[in-house]
Amino acid sequence: MRSGSDTRWLRLGVLLVAVALALSFPSMAPSPYEITVGIAILNYAVLSTSWNFVGGFTGYISLGHGAFAGLGAYGTGLLVTKAELPPFAALFAAAAVVAALAVPVGYAALRVRGASFVIVSIALVLILLLVFQSWASLTGGSRGLVVPRPFPGMLRSEHHRTFYFLFLALLAVALLVWWVIDRSRFGMGLKAIREDEDKAQSLGTPTFTYKLVVFVVSATFTALAGGLYALWFGDLDPVFQFSILSGAYMVLMALLGGVRNLYGPLLGALVVGYALEYAKVEFGDTPLHLVVAGLLLGVVVTFMPDGVIPAATALLGRFRRTGETSIREVTAAELRERREENDTTEVSSERSST
Amino acid sequence: MPSASLVFQSVVLGVLLGGLYALLAAGLTLYFGVMRVVMIAHSAFLILAAYLAWYAHREIGVDPLLTLFVTVPLFFAAGVVMQRLLLTRLRPATLTMMSVLLTFSVALVIEGLLGYAFSGTQRRIRLGYSSASIEFFGARIAVVKLIAFGMAALALLGLYVLMKRSRFGQALRATIQHPDAARLLGIDTDRIAGYGFGLGLATAAVGGTALSLDTTIYPSLHWHWIGPLMAIIVVGGLGSVPGAAIAAMTLGMLQSLLQLELSTTWAQTVFYVALFATLAVRPQGFFGGRLAQRF
Repeated sequence: MRSGSDTRWLRLGVLLVAVALALSFPSMAPSPYEITVGIAILNYAVLSTSWNFVGGFTGYISLGHGAFAGLGAYGTGLLVTKAELPPFAALFAAAAVVAALAVPVGYAALRVRGASFVIVSIALVLILLLVFQSWASLTGGSRGLVVPRPFPGMLRSEHHRTFYFLFLALLAVALLVWWVIDRSRFGMGLKAIREDEDKAQSLGTPTFTYKLVVFVVSATFTALAGGLYALWFGDLDPVFQFSILSGAYMVLMALLGGVRNLYGPLLGALVVGYALEYAKVEFGDTPLHLVVAGLLLGVVVTFMPDGVIPAATALLGRFRRTGETSIREVTAAELRERREENDTTEVSSERSST
Repeated sequence: MPSASLVFQSVVLGVLLGGLYALLAAGLTLYFGVMRVVMIAHSAFLILAAYLAWYAHREIGVDPLLTLFVTVPLFFAAGVVMQRLLLTRLRPATLTMMSVLLTFSVALVIEGLLGYAFSGTQRRIRLGYSSASIEFFGARIAVVKLIAFGMAALALLGLYVLMKRSRFGQALRATIQHPDAARLLGIDTDRIAGYGFGLGLATAAVGGTALSLDTTIYPSLHWHWIGPLMAIIVVGGLGSVPGAAIAAMTLGMLQSLLQLELSTTWAQTVFYVALFATLAVRPQGFFGGRLAQRF
């Protein structure tokens, strides 16, 4: 009981310090360049947190979430330039359009389990890349699309500062929604799907509806992040907006931090985002960044598929020697491993006894 | 409306292209069959083989076809090693999802290394018979396309004979159908699964060499192949070799015919349209059995 309230105060303290640091970062940053790095990292954090609505709750891994970010960005850009909507109205309108589009996409993708879902998510990015490159009359094709700045009179450094806080606000909303879902009955159903979809269904969880709803929520947040990026950066190119790599980065960040944790994707984004920006400055745009990203993803998937946070807490738990309580969360994968371990030990003990 | 001879030419080209698709999709089906693994890096290995053929041709001037004698055993070994060392490390409960990510990361590494070693420049092999073509009932068919198709057809035939006639093929099919029962019969399913993986990767070696004969290659080309290939195995039904072959032929032909009216990029969308339509109407694919429904 005492240790429970202790950790709660500790968590609150860490949270407050983190928020204070995040809020004061723009005024501490020595130059506008650091603020742009901060914005890029925040953008990654929003994207991977949005990804984690699907990846973390349901265990369905989407490699194509870059498509929704790209659609949000192009939707916002096109609504501003072609329909002459005010920038932030365009942002929300674009997110609404993406949410509507995510329904049929999710309907097709979520009818099947695992493998086909990933295939569909990859196909979505590739098809949108083809469409946005070919449909040059609307999207500008490979020449790109220039999005006018939302605050025309503002100085460049002031522009960065404003967008830093806008991204921070979006991140806070995304985290809050994730937290609320995590503690709700809806979230419980989603996690049941993650552990064993057949059992969840037989217990009466409306699995398909739940998956579809959370898929749309995830797509909407991703689109908002993409749209905000369009308003901030002001220049869109299909190759970067509909890149399979951006989807892979989201997965890498979320997995690295830990998909079962609220702050997992944020932590992953801090590490990977900073590394990416650093690599861009140090090594320029050589193909080696692909190798690094690939190796990192491979290492995370092979050696710590649960992420850094669970690995660190497991290590802490070993030091603290807290006994396991009778009610706790155990993943289906862990259960299966334990069962297999028990089986083999039983077999060997039987052998030794005979 | 294009003339009849043009349509006929497209049909022939579609069949030739479909043959290559069928071989590569058969490789993907093998991986999925033996290990329930969706191998994103398949097309990256395809491009790697094409680069090796191009490099050998440039450096020592050998015919690209001769590189097969090196790349096929090499890729087979690489497949066995990849299965034994990487994929068996993943947890069984999340194998399908995590294998996608793992093979995806392999694809990224291959693409990055190719870009680093050979730069992003587009490469093409120039051969004495590159521009030769023959008349076939009024359609002009490039010889290199015929050779590519011949290689794909031979490799597929070889695969078929191996699977249906040899003891190894029987063991492999038993492993695919029911691993537990296969183990009870004394089949070393782990080793067989490794060999199955190697065979799948060997199809990428054959396909890559065929591809290098008449295609301009660049490191990121593999994304243009993996999408259509993935669409083919889903439309055909995951795990079904005949399904994949039929889907490959049909979609290859459709793509070729659509190129008459549309640009090349728009014609490629036929794969994705077919993928989404299949999932909306018949999620297990058109030839998939019990296996496909669960994945």
